[in-house]
Amino acid sequence: MVPMENYLVLSGIIFSLGVYGVLARRNAVLVLMSVELMLNAVSLNFVAFSAYLDPDKATGIIFAVFVIAVAAAEVGLALAIVIRLFRNRSTANVDEAATMRW
Amino acid sequence: MAEHAWILAAVPGIAFIVMAAFGRNLPRQGDWLAVLCATSIFALFFAVLANFLNLGEAAWPVLNSIEWTAIGDFHLRMGIAVDQITIVMLAVITTVALMVNIFSVGYMKGEPRYWWYFAVLQLFVASMLMLVLADNLLLLYVAWELVGLSSFLLIGHYWERRSAVEAAKKAFITTRVGDVGLLIGIILFWEATGTFNILDIIHYVEEGAIGDTRLFVTMMFILLGAMGKSAQLPFHVWLPDAMEGPTPVSALIHAATMVVAGVYLVARLLPVFEAAGALDVVLVIGLLTALFSGVVAFAQTDIKKVLAYSTVSQLGFMFVALGAGYASAGMFHLFTHAFFKALLFLGAGSVIIGTHHHQEMSQLGGLWRKMPITAGTFLIGSLALAGLFPLAGFWSKDEILHAVEGQGTFFFFLISIAAIMTAFYTARLFVRTFLGKPQDEEVASHARETGPVMTLPLVFLAFMSIVAGFFIFHDFGSAFGFPGGFSEFVFLHYPAVFHVDWGLVGLSTALFVIGTFGGAWFYWNGRLDRSTVIAEWQPKVYEMVQRKFYFDDLYQFLIDRVVLGFSYLVSWFDRFAVNDTGVDGSATLTGYTGFLLKHLQTGRVPNYAMAIAAGVVALTLLSLAVGS
Repeated sequence: MVPMENYLVLSGIIFSLGVYGVLARRNAVLVLMSVELMLNAVSLNFVAFSAYLDPDKATGIIFAVFVIAVAAAEVGLALAIVIRLFRNRSTANVDEAATMRW
Repeated sequence: MAEHAWILAAVPGIAFIVMAAFGRNLPRQGDWLAVLCATSIFALFFAVLANFLNLGEAAWPVLNSIEWTAIGDFHLRMGIAVDQITIVMLAVITTVALMVNIFSVGYMKGEPRYWWYFAVLQLFVASMLMLVLADNLLLLYVAWELVGLSSFLLIGHYWERRSAVEAAKKAFITTRVGDVGLLIGIILFWEATGTFNILDIIHYVEEGAIGDTRLFVTMMFILLGAMGKSAQLPFHVWLPDAMEGPTPVSALIHAATMVVAGVYLVARLLPVFEAAGALDVVLVIGLLTALFSGVVAFAQTDIKKVLAYSTVSQLGFMFVALGAGYASAGMFHLFTHAFFKALLFLGAGSVIIGTHHHQEMSQLGGLWRKMPITAGTFLIGSLALAGLFPLAGFWSKDEILHAVEGQGTFFFFLISIAAIMTAFYTARLFVRTFLGKPQDEEVASHARETGPVMTLPLVFLAFMSIVAGFFIFHDFGSAFGFPGGFSEFVFLHYPAVFHVDWGLVGLSTALFVIGTFGGAWFYWNGRLDRSTVIAEWQPKVYEMVQRKFYFDDLYQFLIDRVVLGFSYLVSWFDRFAVNDTGVDGSATLTGYTGFLLKHLQTGRVPNYAMAIAAGVVALTLLSLAVGS
């Protein structure tokens, strides 16, 4: 059986890639995709812990399913915002949407 | 019926609500409703009395109470307790209230806010009856404040007049000082015994449930309330000013009923005062008040002011009797005084109406020809007040002298002096108002007797002023519903069967003669030269008396300098410390901080994301550092 550490390392790598994408990317769609990466890393963690620490119960797996559902809803909402942004500003660049301040 | 005596208070209470709401639109502005209400409670009183006597001694006091509220284990009940003292108070209140209501129909004719006057009068009667019926101190306190409120409203009835407004305010605030004391006393009682019920409190105290010092302090606070309401030194200042109100109000509230609430309270709690050893304080205060206001009454020229100081003085007499431990004497004086002082005030009201609003003695004189009924009844009232054998005031004053006899020669001498002064200023008042030649022809020529609606109450009260004293006798008292005579009826526990002490009668008559003839000699036939001689001989003393021993000036000084000075300090603290620094300062600080910190908000999403990421990293490092 594959040791749990492997899953955790993989999850960590995916999460870090997501963080990098969120911080480095300008395009809002790509930022969103990076967020998805982070979420998936978390889901992977849940499933891994569930399978290794308490295989009789499905707690972690159910959490993973919830995370996927919430992520879907979040993406639906976020993409709508991105579309509004694009319609108004003709850009999907997050740097340029900088008027939400004092 | 006795256990439903609360109806007595409920009837005028309902009348007040009806008249306050619709009085203006009723025919005759609802004065008939007021008289009807007063008549019905007068009749109901006899139903209560008959039932009370039927129930017999074993059933006294008649109790009836309902649960007011319950907080956890604490049950607060409110209800009535009808005992002999209550019966006496009910007799006084219902009788005088009826007379005053009838008299007011004539006196207040054509005055502004006629309907409102009668409405508030009913409120007063309702709260006064509630006060004497209450079986617990809390309900008593509520009624106590309500009578104060009605007094305030009625003193300030002519609020277009600045002096009336000032007087109303003065009465309310002065009595309030005492009322706070009363409230503290009640709370102290509650803390010590866990009950507000008067009978329970007396019971607890007799068992010694409250420590000596504590009990004494409590009673001092209670006494403060009684002194405020009953205008005892040094709270007397409000009562003479209260004469700004309509005269029938002075008769009902400021002579017969409300001002004796303090006497009633002390009489009701007399066993407690006795246990606390506070009776001497009551005695001394009463004596000082009686002497002081007797002297001040000499120099007053307004007939109502003379009567007002006379009332203060007589209230002092009642306190003296209570202080000597003779509640029966105090209550008896309360009983007789109510009738003849109400008579005198209504008589003064009749004079005021008859002479078209003149009440300075220097403008009156010789009125007996023009106003024979008023003069005759006023004479009876004056003689009763001065203590002529065998009018009402004689017997009650006799009882007080008898009570003070046991307190030593010194006190007896002083109270005798006060009795002489009573006769003196009463004689002066009567002689200068009704006898001699008119001081002001203009006033005298227009004077006329008032109508029957005003003279009939005078005649009835004059009758009461003659006979009320006889209630102290066994047979006479029994016939009129006080079985065994007044003293025995009221105080079963102090079996003091009344017997005439002829030596005291002689002394008392001597006091009356000295005072009356002294007063009459000084002012006979409208002459003032004899009294002026004294005034010129000792101008300083005269001025001091005329200025009421500077009490009002002292209080005014205290208010102007001390109270207002302190208020200024408080307002300065409020303005600078609380408002400018505390409230405005914190708002400014928040605003300035926000101004500085707003630059952190760039509006750029990656900045925020970076901040979050950095935060997470920082927290992780921190937890690692702390964990290891």
